[in-house]
Order: sequence, then C-alpha cells, then structure tokens
Amino acid sequence: MNLEFSDEELAFRDTIRQWMKANVPDDLRRCTARGAMPGKEMQQRWERLLGEQGWLTVTWPEQYGGPGWTATQRYIFDLERASAGAPPTSPFGVAMVGPVLYTFGSPEQKDRWLPGIRSGEMLWCQGYSEPNAGSDLASLKTRAERHDDHYLVNGQKIWTTQAHWADMMFCLVRTDSTVKQQQGISFLLIDMKTPGIEVRPIYSIDGHHHLNEVYFTDVKVPVENLVGTEGMGWTIAKFLLTHERTTIAGVADTQNEINRLKAALATMAENYDKHQAARRVAALEIDLMALEYTNFRTVAATDEGKPFGPESSGLKIKGTELQQSVSQAMVELGELLSLPWDNEQPIGNEVFNRASRRYNFLRACTIYGGSNEIQKNVLAKMLLGL
Amino acid sequence: MDFKLSENTTMIADTARRYLKDNYSFDIYRSQLQEADHLHAARWQAMLELGWFGLPFPESCGGYGGNLVDVAAIVRETGAALCLDPFVDLVVSPGKLLEYINTSESLAILEDVIAGQARVACGLYDRYAGYQVTKPSLRLNGYRLSGQKHVVPDGGCAKRILVSAMAGDELLILALPVEQCQIERYRLLDGSRASSLMLDDLEITDAMILCRGEVARQALSGWFDYMCALDCARMYGAASQVFDDTLEYARTRKQFGTAIGSFQVIQHYLVDMFIDLQQLESMLLMVLVKAESETVSERVRATAAAKAYYASQAVRIAQQGIQIHGGVGVTEELNIGHYFRLITHCSLSHGSRDHHVSRFIEADAAV
Ligand SMILES: Cc1cc2nc3c(=O)[nH]c(=O)nc-3n(C[C@H](O)[C@H](O)[C@H](O)COP(=O)(O)OP(=O)(O)OC[C@H]3O[C@@H](n4cnc5c(N)ncnc54)[C@H](O)[C@@H]3O)c2cc1C
Repeated sequence: MNLEFSDEELAFRDTIRQWMKANVPDDLRRCTARGAMPGKEMQQRWERLLGEQGWLTVTWPEQYGGPGWTATQRYIFDLERASAGAPPTSPFGVAMVGPVLYTFGSPEQKDRWLPGIRSGEMLWCQGYSEPNAGSDLASLKTRAERHDDHYLVNGQKIWTTQAHWADMMFCLVRTDSTVKQQQGISFLLIDMKTPGIEVRPIYSIDGHHHLNEVYFTDVKVPVENLVGTEGMGWTIAKFLLTHERTTIAGVADTQNEINRLKAALATMAENYDKHQAARRVAALEIDLMALEYTNFRTVAATDEGKPFGPESSGLKIKGTELQQSVSQAMVELGELLSLPWDNEQPIGNEVFNRASRRYNFLRACTIYGGSNEIQKNVLAKMLLGL
Repeated sequence: MDFKLSENTTMIADTARRYLKDNYSFDIYRSQLQEADHLHAARWQAMLELGWFGLPFPESCGGYGGNLVDVAAIVRETGAALCLDPFVDLVVSPGKLLEYINTSESLAILEDVIAGQARVACGLYDRYAGYQVTKPSLRLNGYRLSGQKHVVPDGGCAKRILVSAMAGDELLILALPVEQCQIERYRLLDGSRASSLMLDDLEITDAMILCRGEVARQALSGWFDYMCALDCARMYGAASQVFDDTLEYARTRKQFGTAIGSFQVIQHYLVDMFIDLQQLESMLLMVLVKAESETVSERVRATAAAKAYYASQAVRIAQQGIQIHGGVGVTEELNIGHYFRLITHCSLSHGSRDHHVSRFIEADAAV
C-alpha cells in the first residue's frame, strides 16, 4: 500500500494550483467565499475559461477532447478547483448528456453537440422528473409522437434545474405506451427555443430561482434529435447512473466548506466558545476523512481499470449526508449571526450570513439525483441481493 | 402529578386556533413575508380584543393574570399557523421584561403595551456577547451610549427598544426611542422582521434608564427563561403541523403505483417523528411549568434542557418532513420548507443547542 501521491501527481497538482491561482476570476472567488451560488453569466464565463484550456470535460476520453488524465489526476484537479474557490461545473452538459452522446450518439450528433459542451458555449438541462414521476421515473408520461421527420412532444417536466438558462434539454419521453413502461421511453434532445415550450420558475427555500416547470404543447422535435433508438431511453438513463463516480461524493467542496467554517470561527468574538465549536468541526472533518479515503479507493480502482467495487456504493449517500451536516453546523455555530436573511451588511463574518440559505438548499441533496432512500433500495437489491 | 391543561387554557388554545384559521392563512403569511412592517392593523386590533395582550401579565400590572402555559397555548398555534404578526416580539417579550423590571416607569410602559398603544421591542443581543444576556457590549460612559445591538426582533415598526448596556461594571436596561438610533432593517430566517442598532455616542437622559444592577440582572434572567420556553412552544406548534401534513402526504402521494407511506422506510421515519413529537410535548409541558419557577437553578436547568432537546429533535422532524415530501418539500410554494426555517430559527434564537448544553452543565454544577 502507498497512500501518497506520486512525484508526477504532485507536480501535476502544482501546475493546476498555479493555474487556478492565476485564473479563477475574483468575482467568482468572492461569490463562493460568501457561500452564494453564481448566476448564469458568472458561471458560464468560468466554464468557458475552463473550456479554452480543455479542462471543462476532464472526464471525457481523449478522442472526444478530454485531457487524458487518470482518475487520480481528475480527483486532484477537483480538489484544487474547490480550494481555489471555484464552484463545481454544471453537470448537465459535461457529466450527463456529453457521455451519453459519445457513447450512444450518431457521428452527426457527436459533431453537432459535443463541441458546444466542450467549450462551455452551450448550456443544457435535464428533463427527467415529472409531477407524478419522481422516484418512479419509469412512469413518466410526457409523450413524443412520431410524425414523418419530427416528434410532437406534449406533457410536463418539473424540478428542471437551470431550464431558464439552458439552450437545450435532454429529455426522457414516452414514445410507446403499449409495451412495458421502461421499454417505451426514448431519449430526445430538445431546443429550448422551440415554439410550444413554456418555462415557469419554482422558487426553492433558499429564496432563489434554480428550478422550473417546463410545459410542452405540440413541440416539434426533429427525428435526428433522438439519441440511440426508440425505446432505448431507459438504458441510457441507467448508464448515466453508473457513470463517473470519482467526484460524486463532493469531497473537494465539502472540504472547502469546512475550511470556510474554520476560518469564520477564528473571527468569533471573545465570549464565543471556540473550543466547543472546534470539537464539532473536528467530528465533521473525521467523517470527511473516512469519505475521502473511500473515495481514494474508488479513484485508485478506476485507474487500474476495475469496475466500481462495493466501496463506492456509499459515496453519494455519505457525501450528501455530510454536505448537510456541514451546512447545518455552519448555521448552528453562527448562532445569532446566522439569523438574518436579507441584510446588506453582514453582522460579523459573512460566511454565517448566507449559511442558512445554503443549509436550506442542501436539504435537497438527499432528494435529487435519486433520493437516498431509493439509492439504498437499489443497493439492498444489487449489492446485498435482498 | 397532573398533566391536564386547565379548562381555561384549553379554551384559550381553541380560540386561538379558530381565530387563526379564520383570519390567517399560508397565503397571507407569504404576502406578509414581503412586507417591511409586520403590524397589520385589523389583526392587531383583533388580538387585542381577544385579550392576548393582557394575558401574559399579572392583574396588578393591568393584565389578565395568565401563566406561561396559557401564553404558550397561543404561541403554539401561531407557530402552527406560521403567523408573522409580532405578538411575541412587540407584546410578550418587551412586556415580560417590563413586568420583571417592576418600576413605576417600566409598568407605565407596560400599561401602554397591554392597551395596544405602544410599539416596544427588546434589543438584548449583539454579536460580541452572543446570547450571554447579562454581558452586553453596549457601553454607557457618563450620559453617552455607544455600541451595537443585533437581530432586534421589532416587527419592522417598533418605536422604542429596550436595550441592555454596561456602565462600568453595572448592568442597565434602557428604553431608547428608535428615531434617535441609526438602524438597519432586515428579515430573519423565520420571515419575521428585525434590525441592527448602531449607537455612536447617543445622548441618554435619566428618564431612559429603567433599572440597574441586580434588578436588571434578575429581570433579564427571568425574561430569558420565559422566552426560551416560548421558543419551544412555537417549535412544537410547527413540528406537530409538519408531522400531520407529512403523514397526510405519505398517505396520498403515490409512486410505484402505491402510496409512499406503504414503504417501510417511510413508515419508520414517520413513527420516529411521532415518537419524537411525544417527547417534545413532554419537554414542553415540563418547561412551561418550570420556566416560571422561583428557584433560579430549577428554571435554568429546565429551559436549558428543553432548548437543547428541541434544537436537535424538532429540527430533525422538520428535516424528515422535507425528505418525505421529496422535491416539493424544498419549494417556497409549500409550507413544509417554511416550517423548517421557522424551527431552525427558533432552535437558534435565545441560544443554540451548544449554548444551552453549557447552561445545563452550569446549572447542574450550581445545585
Ligand atoms: C433541487 C432539486 C433539483 C433537481 N433537479 C432536477 C433536474 O434538473 N432534472 C430532473 O429531471 N429532476 C430534477 N430534480 C428532481 C428529483 O430527481 C426528484 O425530486 C427526485 O427524483 C424525487 O422525486 P419526487 O420529488 O417526486 O419525490 P417522490 O418520488 O414523491 O418521493 C417522496 C419520498 O418518498 C421516498 N420514496 C419514493 N419511493 C420510495 C421507495 N420505493 N422506497 C422508499 N422510499 C421511497 C423518496 O425517497 C422521498 O423521500 C431535482 C430535485 C431537486 C429537489
């Protein structure tokens, strides 16, 4: 066993660190330092910058423009990105539809869509969930009827993150209602500017607009926007669930949150019980360490070309629980300072000033992307054979 | 032992519930969230007429002599209804402090509060002292007052603020006219309104000083315990509503062709929530009786325990309520997320869990 990065990996880390130091925009850094989430312009400006460097799509194979890094390098990159104060990149293009396209797409589809994802020019959203198809995604009802050279799409999606930013949506639709649920689902790419699409905002309990309802009324989608074949949508959706796990635990960003919390605690007034707070933070850091080493095992196995082992099964569950615990600690340790909601001048350290919004939003992280209950159901079945 | 509520308390609770049902709603709450002034004239008048303003105070002060159990019966309902009308912030909280100060000047202001004529709030915390209520950082030098008060819950409209300050080693409580203070207004986590006061050599008159020394210390200590107990009542009201609504949701929300309440994990969550709610109710009954005790150590021990317990268990219920609701639980459109904010807020106001665990240890050591 060897638990250290190699000399090459350390050299790689230094290169990334220097680049981040020189290139993460100040406004973005300040935004993250405040605990806020960047708006569209700021986020996209950053992703384009990464795109120019070829570093937006670090998980992609080289033939599609990935940098050809090992899983360890990708992991190091993520750590450096977070500790430089840059937010994670939006997953919808890079981590979701991109891999679907280079795995299942036709050559034309690859040529048409991959470059815009790689450069950060084109923003995507994920149209899976519907009001009555959340955990039970296979029961989705949005219909796509084939008419000559196009599909006619009717129905409704909900919880669509960033639909109000997106140029394109990748969408699960029902193309056949006569077969078994899973077999009648197809994977369609929909231009968000197509007539018949209406995007309505949903405000979440952090007070912000991330989520949307998307309504489709006779929306015409060219048949060449079908990925794979009709009825293949479910297979594609499942493929995405098992894709790239090396950063799913969010270790880098959680570490950064803990660092922010520690720095903020150091600024607390004399009366404040810093020792008690330090114990709470230490407990969180210890939990993070366990997750980090589990994550390292997954990364190392990936570099050896092994399939995901059982050690990677808890990464999302433990990772999201820890994100929630850290955000809760941030609010609770801020005490009085965490109570103001919309004051302009933070009272005391600005870290606490926004902590409650983040804590609110992060209640969602055990719900989205397959709730933790559903994750556990799957693991019980697949892993334990129950 | 007897845990039954008196007939009178039950009536107060029923009346409050009915009043809020008829006059308040989630929609009203959501529009009130957007307003800078939370005093709604018609509802304020209605609460006055219901006798709420006099209820918390002894007859000798012109009140109706209700105890904490009675007042909590109302606050529970306002918590359950997410009601933002500043009844606690502009009546109970300043009123109790004025009552405990018990000087002719303070009782004169209390009379106005009970009559619904005064807009008084309590500004007793600041970022330096945190929740250590008898160690304010505001300083009085001669007749000049300097320093800050933070997170002053004032309904967005208080005209006078009761503040604590130190003059050398001596603790004081003063009543400051708001128009003489520099003030920043904002909303809090639970949606209520608050402000920060920035005082820079504010000139003080003798008439502003309500009390000093031991009187001030005892008044603040009694007030703090009373407010802690009310936080628990408000959280209880909210948490029980979260439970009811979540149970109902689990019965009706279908996934995989069946109600989500038929999944065992959801059943276990709900059973845990139910059991925790029973425990929270026990703690509430305990603290409502003991928070008014004459014996300080008993009072402190009870409120510290209750606040510490609520800060973990009531919060847990709110979190589970969201989780069981899925995506809709994290939206502004549904009440569940708002209860979560309210409960989180109350778990921190008047001291976080850590703060109260420390108080509990100190109270134990003092016995
Ligand atoms: C912030 C946020 C962003 C999102 N972004 C997107 C997006 O961009 N695109 C998109 O398509 N979707 C998105 N979603 C939707 C998300 O994937 C769904 O919310 C999620 O799948 C759960 O579905 P639901 O909300 O309908 O809850 P439900 O499925 O109704 O679940 C309610 C509760 O029941 C539990 N439950 C359900 N079935 C079972 C079972 N069989 N056993 C045990 N427990 C069960 C769940 O775990 C949950 O606790 C987002 C959601 C959120 C909150």
